[in-house]
Amino acid sequence: MTNDLIFDLQEVSCAHQGALVLGPLSLQIRAGSRVAILGANGSGKTTLLRLLDALHYPHSGVASAFGQRIDEANFADDEVNFAFRRRVGLVFQNPDVQLFNPTVFDELAFGPLQLGWPRERILTAVEESLARLRITHLRQRAPHRLSGGEKKRVALASVLIMEPEVLLLDEPTAALDPESQGEILRFLAEGQGSGRTIVTTTHDLHLVEGIAEHVIVLGAGKLVAQGTPAEILGNEALLRATHLIHSHWHRHADGEVHEHDHLHAHSHAHVASSITLATPYRPLQRSRP
Amino acid sequence: MKPRHGLLAGLARHFVEELADSLEAEQLAARAGFLQALDPRAKLLAIILLIVGASTARLLLPLAGLFVLAVVLSLLSQIPLASLVRRVWLVVALFTGLIALPALVLVPGEVIVTLPWCGLGVSRQGLRSAAFLIGRGETCVTLVSLLVMTTPWQQVLKAMRSLGVPVVVVAMLGMTQRYIFLLVQLALQMFEARRSRVIIAPDAAATRRMALAMLGVLLGKSLQLASEVHQAMLARGYRGEVCLLDEFQMCWCDWLVLLLALAVCVVMVLLK
Amino acid sequence: MHIPDGYLSPTSCAIAYGVALPFWLIACRRLKRRLHTRLLPHLALFSAFCFVLMMFNLPLPGGTTGHAVGMAIAAIVLGPWAAVLAVSVALLIQAVFFGDGGITTLGANCLNMAIVGSFVAYGSYRLLAGRSAPDALRRVFAAGIAGYLGINASALLAAIEFGIQPLFFHDATGTPLYAPYPLSVAVPAMMIGHLGPAGIAELVVSAGLVAYLRRSSPELLGGMHPEPAVARKTPRGLWYALAVLMIASPLGLVAAGTAWGEWGADAFQDAAARQAIRHASANIAPPSQAPAGLARLAEFWTAPLPDYAPAFMHSETFGYVLSAFVGVGIILLAYLLISRFVGGPRRALDPYR
Repeated sequence: MTNDLIFDLQEVSCAHQGALVLGPLSLQIRAGSRVAILGANGSGKTTLLRLLDALHYPHSGVASAFGQRIDEANFADDEVNFAFRRRVGLVFQNPDVQLFNPTVFDELAFGPLQLGWPRERILTAVEESLARLRITHLRQRAPHRLSGGEKKRVALASVLIMEPEVLLLDEPTAALDPESQGEILRFLAEGQGSGRTIVTTTHDLHLVEGIAEHVIVLGAGKLVAQGTPAEILGNEALLRATHLIHSHWHRHADGEVHEHDHLHAHSHAHVASSITLATPYRPLQRSRP
Repeated sequence: MKPRHGLLAGLARHFVEELADSLEAEQLAARAGFLQALDPRAKLLAIILLIVGASTARLLLPLAGLFVLAVVLSLLSQIPLASLVRRVWLVVALFTGLIALPALVLVPGEVIVTLPWCGLGVSRQGLRSAAFLIGRGETCVTLVSLLVMTTPWQQVLKAMRSLGVPVVVVAMLGMTQRYIFLLVQLALQMFEARRSRVIIAPDAAATRRMALAMLGVLLGKSLQLASEVHQAMLARGYRGEVCLLDEFQMCWCDWLVLLLALAVCVVMVLLK
Repeated sequence: MHIPDGYLSPTSCAIAYGVALPFWLIACRRLKRRLHTRLLPHLALFSAFCFVLMMFNLPLPGGTTGHAVGMAIAAIVLGPWAAVLAVSVALLIQAVFFGDGGITTLGANCLNMAIVGSFVAYGSYRLLAGRSAPDALRRVFAAGIAGYLGINASALLAAIEFGIQPLFFHDATGTPLYAPYPLSVAVPAMMIGHLGPAGIAELVVSAGLVAYLRRSSPELLGGMHPEPAVARKTPRGLWYALAVLMIASPLGLVAAGTAWGEWGADAFQDAAARQAIRHASANIAPPSQAPAGLARLAEFWTAPLPDYAPAFMHSETFGYVLSAFVGVGIILLAYLLISRFVGGPRRALDPYR
């Protein structure tokens, strides 16, 4: 069914200062699905997300959202632009970029103000949003006085207040301590039943199963694979090729040299390896039993 | 050489003090005092009127009265006098006083006292002139500080908006203030990083190079941040029109305060 | 160089605001038309950067420290109009939040630093950098000199604003009500500081930052001028306007200070003049002799350039002021004409964007 297709990318590529950073790739995202975009740093995840949010326009190929083409001419029309912004929300990776208003209250009110909501509706929506993310006490706080976790919650609130159908999250758990990470993930899990489409980029593999049913893997700007979390996470060669896991060698005190990666627990059962001691090794990491 | 090394540390301390000052301002604005309870628009307008009154005063006595009024207002608003002294009075007295001091002898007029060791005469006109200078400086800066210490900055901005300041300027001011703190924190971090790696105190040229390099990095970061912030604004529907939302409401005491300020201003202008 | 409250009379402040206002309005309108979406965060960030820049005290050769304003680098990267807004906002925040510079004198401070400083710096930079490549070393020198000239232009204007206060604004006993130092004291005092440490600081910072940008992002050194069509409407017309304004401004001051500034010491003896003075002073008769202070002040000025006093002016002091303004205006005009002929044919497209 194409009427529940939200994003449809056909051989789309993006360029930055003359160099190709993304694509060409083809991708479909359906309504209500939860998608994770995996990729190492520099793989083009952020560019893809911004393309989906119509902040970058494709260099070639056709990208459409809700049946409308994503290109400069189309989005020059205010109506198209506002309708899109209402339905799609992007939470940036760096909260200092997302939180540009002087207070949390202003930050939450910014989106609805731009969309032209009436004053009373905005005030009510702000209160609700603050309550939902449990940040009411931060109402008049300035953004530079918030902790990392609070900033993320405010950033999320500032997007959710517009009640978008599609939520795009750029590495939502980056630079957060485990408790704050857990909170964000719990919140995302709560939204599961709401029918909202959630697209998350991350390179944190242990999050993937909790936040997505469909996984897309990017490598050097190209779409390398897609599938269910189990399929992707089980494919070691793929993960290694895209630098989502790495192998390294280490040397034990007794002189044994072997390699392992971080996805599986390291066991000290030494596997006979063909690596001789004359082979140069990278003594960068220590093993963690 | 202590002084050069101290320069970096001094700068870092300067930044920290500014941050601390602004935090203190936020705390003071949260107290339940007289000025805090007023509508920001009335407050802004009233203080502007009082400043105009102070600037146009031609007699010393009314000027002194206005200063006393400012002090009374600060007491009513639970602003500790020590805070005022430290942040406002000392600084203005130092700066203005330094400039006004030579005026005592330079302004020609009726000599009241002759300084013993240089033979220069302190004139009455010079004394009055210096008194006017210092009095005006102290009064105006005290009034502005009252405004800033009893009103959160973004409310001052919104009040300015309703007084007709273009919305682009107000939006810019809000964003500037927000990112000043970010840049100051970045600068502090760079200083700390440098300080932790400096073993021998650098000479002036090296310090200058370091400072310039830091400034360059700050500039680069500012420009990059600006592009990113623009994207974030676009993502939330920004199209070039800036809209602001405020929750202000004028009540009768706001009007009363405004009228009183107007009266004071008119009196000051008329008194010759 | 931030003029605090109380140093300029309300009339001078009002005039300064009046002169600054059209520049602000034009800047707002121009920027709104051109880059209305992208420019706002750039302006705010640059304003924040200027503010932080003013907090950096640089160690200078000679053992002193100075701090730069940042008008030159703002004008170079953002263009003069955006620089006007950016520096004005930084000054506003300093005045309101940190008490650096007065509120009544904000118009004058912005006029000196944000408006005149930015335009002088920008003009000098464009003239000196010419058509060199964005990463040419010449631009570094151009930027340094542009900064130096910009900050000194600001300082000169500030000194003039200070210096004319005691001439026009004093009470019946001759007490200067505002800034008490005449031009002969104010101008040297300000200029020594700015031709020296502060000017060097601005020079070093402007040159240093341009040197940094030269390596990292040279395309910024052509300025953020987006569409060639608008870039063609250069601020040249406004340079001319500025020159005319400076030449004509003493007339505005005459109108403002007409009740107090025109009397020479001999006017107190002349019956007709006395009548005029009495009329202008709420019918209080002026003293039968010129107050000693006034007479002494008048003496200060007879020496420099008495032949600059036009025929209809009573006092040489005022003629001196007028000549200062006219002189600056003429310099500007000459510079404009020179750059017009030396700069060569103008291209429609600025390749350094």
